[in-house]
Amino acid sequence: MHNILNTIALMLEGTETTLQIFFITLVLSIPIGMLVSLARLSRLKPVSWFMELYIWIMRGTPLMLQLLFVYFALPMAGIKLSDITAALLAFTLNYAAYFAEIFRAGIQSINRGQYEAAKTLGMSYTQTMRRIILPQVIRRVLPPISNETINLVKDTSLIYILAMNDLLRVARTIVQREFDMTPFVVAAVFYLAMTFVLTWIFKRLEAHYGKYEV
Amino acid sequence: MENSTIMIQMSDIYKSFNNIPVLKGISLEVKKSEVLAVIGPSGSGKSTLLRCLNTLETIDGGSIKIKGEYLAKNSDGKAEYADKKTQKHILGQMCMVFQQFNLFPHMTVLENLLEAPLHVKNMKKNEILPVAEELLRKTGLFDKRDAYPSRLSGGQQQRVAIARALCMSPDIMLFDEPTSALDPELTVGVLNTMRQLAEEQMTMIVVTHEMGFARDAASNVIFMADGNIIEKAKPHDFFSNPQEERTKSFLKNMLK
Repeated sequence: MHNILNTIALMLEGTETTLQIFFITLVLSIPIGMLVSLARLSRLKPVSWFMELYIWIMRGTPLMLQLLFVYFALPMAGIKLSDITAALLAFTLNYAAYFAEIFRAGIQSINRGQYEAAKTLGMSYTQTMRRIILPQVIRRVLPPISNETINLVKDTSLIYILAMNDLLRVARTIVQREFDMTPFVVAAVFYLAMTFVLTWIFKRLEAHYGKYEV
Repeated sequence: MENSTIMIQMSDIYKSFNNIPVLKGISLEVKKSEVLAVIGPSGSGKSTLLRCLNTLETIDGGSIKIKGEYLAKNSDGKAEYADKKTQKHILGQMCMVFQQFNLFPHMTVLENLLEAPLHVKNMKKNEILPVAEELLRKTGLFDKRDAYPSRLSGGQQQRVAIARALCMSPDIMLFDEPTSALDPELTVGVLNTMRQLAEEQMTMIVVTHEMGFARDAASNVIFMADGNIIEKAKPHDFFSNPQEERTKSFLKNMLK
């Protein structure tokens, strides 16, 4: 009994690291993704191309490789980051690219008539985006954003290669030390609990932002 | 302002899409309080003409003058647009009603009306609220003010769109086939709102397929085909005694 409680206490510590990476990445990558999508849709071709290149690289290489690159390659170029900063940098850059594509799809799904109505009423581009387009985009992108967010919870486990003690790494350490598979089950339950909460939050958000639909 | 004031003057307007000409040297004038009905087969350029007036499309050649101010000036056969500030000032005097209503779906009826006055004209809410409520009463939608557009019928949505445009107190109203997306029985309410507006001396250009409206609410009718104005006349003359063959065959088909 004492053993189980001890295991759970250790794993809660690991969960803290997991949640820390999760929340900070989410809070940074969503607004960055929004800006990237707007830049990607820019009429200035070089800006648009640069964003396309960035998205291609981020989506076209493994997240694990990006983590290793930030952690091991950047220091060779004289950029030394702490474990957590390196992890956050890689996660944020990677997730911002995915979020950008989700926002782009959302923005492009809004009827041209909405822009025209706003224009004939005298609204500027910024006003049109902020007050007319983006509120409708949020409603439409919530399901894919929810998908990505749940992915992020699980992707945080990749930081084990940076020797950070997240939930999964703690579980694995205990399993290897005590030849007992229970920590894996406990870890699964922890991940399920986190995604359950997220699913519930997104359901509420969808209901809130969808109240104007039939 | 006397009634002979010229509100809109378009001269020699040219417009092509991908080298396909859609407006081939259109000229027209609209006086204050005039209701100009523009009719013609689809693809004749009538919607494009309207959209060129408020810069939803830009013209290639010709000039556009609104209330004596140049929106676009002819310079060496090419249209040269006024600077952003002048454009904004000119466009602020015109509002448009679309075939697809284009209400903001995430805002209630009242919020749709208040949006531009509050955030474009920076009016105070207590200044504009009575105006908006009066417009909703006039269009018979006061009890729907807190409803979202998706809860309204097409006809009601279009009346909200008209009220939203009027809330900016424009001098000129442009209607781009306002009843074409509506079931026949829903067009009545929209057309009545437009008739009422005409009686209140609003200057209007109405692109429409509603021959009844053109006949009894318009002060002038223009018939367009293939990017040209074929015929312009008073409604009575236009419908009882069309001059051009093209007009005659169109009317024969329409009134069949």
